[in-house]
Amino acid sequence: MLLHLCRWLQDNSFIVAINGTSWTAAALEIVHYFSMFILVGSMVVVDLRVLGLVGRRQDATELAGRLFPWIWISFALNFLSGFLMFAGSATSYYRNDVFYDKVVVIVLAIVTNIIVQQRVSGWNRLPAMPASAKVLAAVSIVLWIGAIVAGVEVPALTGVG
Amino acid sequence: MDSSLIHFGHWLQNRPFALAIAGSDWAYPFVQATHFTGLSLWVGTNVAVDLNLLGVGKKSAPPLQLSDTLFIWNWIGFGIAVIGGFLLFSVSAETYLSNIAFLTKLAMLIPLGLALHIVIQRKAPTWEKSSQTSSVAKFAGFTELLLWLCVVTAAVLIPYVG
Repeated sequence: MLLHLCRWLQDNSFIVAINGTSWTAAALEIVHYFSMFILVGSMVVVDLRVLGLVGRRQDATELAGRLFPWIWISFALNFLSGFLMFAGSATSYYRNDVFYDKVVVIVLAIVTNIIVQQRVSGWNRLPAMPASAKVLAAVSIVLWIGAIVAGVEVPALTGVG
Repeated sequence: MDSSLIHFGHWLQNRPFALAIAGSDWAYPFVQATHFTGLSLWVGTNVAVDLNLLGVGKKSAPPLQLSDTLFIWNWIGFGIAVIGGFLLFSVSAETYLSNIAFLTKLAMLIPLGLALHIVIQRKAPTWEKSSQTSSVAKFAGFTELLLWLCVVTAAVLIPYVG
């Protein structure tokens, strides 16, 4: 069933064209990398602020308020470009354990983004960042680095991508 | 291509550390991940400052002093990216040194981006304080954003032109 869906996706003429033309394939990669840098870099800065390791004079709520719109726009671009590249070789990513690991790590990382975004102004009103907030921020950083590691391990270990 | 450059590439990629990375299953992706993690910090913090200068997402609240706030992590990211990048380069230095996309990235785009970045970092505290963003600040922010996008483009194109 899922494999059928992958095959259908992979044979879709638009997907074939976008992945088979070298300049559009390169454009997908450029968008994927650039948006990933902005997504991970901005989120890590928010996490580091919660940990008290970046600009303590800078109000955490304001910093998060400024960075989160870029984080989500970057995530949307990253997801879209990533999905289009996945679709081009969908049957090879099907049952690719390392790719599944990558997706799981990213989903968990995104969950940390959502929690931090919702809670940061509350934490900021307290006299100090609570320990639970710092643990979550540290987990978020580890997960985003983990997403990068998983990302490079997909082609390294499975030869796909 | 200049033969002394190729000679250097040949010498570098035969250093024990370069051979070790090339010959290990886990080292190469680990170095790649290091390069990308450093780049996330570097590009992420640069883009944050650039977009701030462009006035994107600016509200009536007092302007953010993003350049000062992010200064240390900005350069930590650059340091990590350079270390990772140098190690990736040393694994196949000879090939990289004869790749036009790589040479454009290293010899032209990165020096330009760095020079502009340092100028922006010196001026940003003043620019960020004014509630009305000057057109010079906007131009600088936009140009830097574009330059780093060009660097990523050149990097992605390395295997396409090689």
